[in-house]
Amino acid sequence: MRTMLIAILMFLAGLSAPPAEAADPTGVTGRFILTDMNGRTVTDEMYRGKIRLVTFGYTFCPDICPTILNTLSVALDHLGADRAKVETMFISVDPERDSPAHLKEYLNAFPGIMGLTGTPDQVAAAARNFNVRYERSPAEDGDPKAYSMDHTAALFIMDREGNFLARMPHASAPDRVAERVRSYLQPRRGEN
Amino acid sequence: MRRRAFILTALAMGLGRPAFAKGARGLVIHDSPIPVPALDIRDAESKPAGLDLLAGKPVLLNLWASWCMPCIAELPALDRLKPGLEAKGVALVALSLDRSGKIAVANTFARLGIKALDIRTDETRSAAEKLQAPALPVTLLIDRQGREIGRFIGAAEWDGAEASRLLDALASGARLTPDMAPPPVKVGTAP
Repeated sequence: MRTMLIAILMFLAGLSAPPAEAADPTGVTGRFILTDMNGRTVTDEMYRGKIRLVTFGYTFCPDICPTILNTLSVALDHLGADRAKVETMFISVDPERDSPAHLKEYLNAFPGIMGLTGTPDQVAAAARNFNVRYERSPAEDGDPKAYSMDHTAALFIMDREGNFLARMPHASAPDRVAERVRSYLQPRRGEN
Repeated sequence: MRRRAFILTALAMGLGRPAFAKGARGLVIHDSPIPVPALDIRDAESKPAGLDLLAGKPVLLNLWASWCMPCIAELPALDRLKPGLEAKGVALVALSLDRSGKIAVANTFARLGIKALDIRTDETRSAAEKLQAPALPVTLLIDRQGREIGRFIGAAEWDGAEASRLLDALASGARLTPDMAPPPVKVGTAP
């Protein structure tokens, strides 16, 4: 009942808001304060002026590893010179094991993708602001260090101001991702 | 009309591909064989080494990458398996999806002491998409007509007794059954 009420309120809020602000039905604000893989504290504000491609995950996949970083790096290749206008971020939902140094080593295999991690609270806040859920799942054999992380498998495209533009599934083809990003790189009317 | 045909084909493919159900793991046997699209596979000298060169042979095609721990965990088993499997007439191709291609492969092989596997790379970086592999490792069982008859999602004990039943069926063209699934390999504590 309460959920339904919230849904109705959200719907009404959407109706009354001006179209530009109502564009995001997912409630994704994209705000974060995290530490990048070089050890710097970073916020979403610092990427102003760039289209952002953001995904969440973790590096210690114990049984199968998503190919999303592969997809992103192929998409960046498709973008060619336009890739300079894009910041690509991989936010770890496993800050306990994904230290900045570890992320840096891991992301060597994916040039141009910035790894972000943080304190558990910072990561939780970032995930909340992207409407991403994650949950620790213990290893079957009880090894406390071999847990896996179930998480939302989505790819977010945010505009140059950090506002939500699109959400795509992990399984998207790289050329579709590049095409989508490129569509947002076109100067809009009234802009240079 | 063409568009409609395309949509219908896509739907049919979707229905015929239970492997891609979210969270699928282990052995997936297709209801009907799926033709494997042409792949631009290269060898250590960057020369073409596609599956077309293995025409007429069943193939065990493993997709891996150096950044994927479960992939690394199963490579030694595949390496041990290769000579015996090839004696049965089945080709084993371990295709790396690494961006840095043969350098990453050579480094990984050296680190793991891989002896029998050949360097095979996906230089055009399109194999994962063409084979609809949203996660690694994945190993495709391809019959002698070049059709995928099943796949194993995740790492497996490829050199064990259970796997040999599956691989014998692949070699002889016998029907695959779910009880032939090799046990999965779980990666323990992060290295």
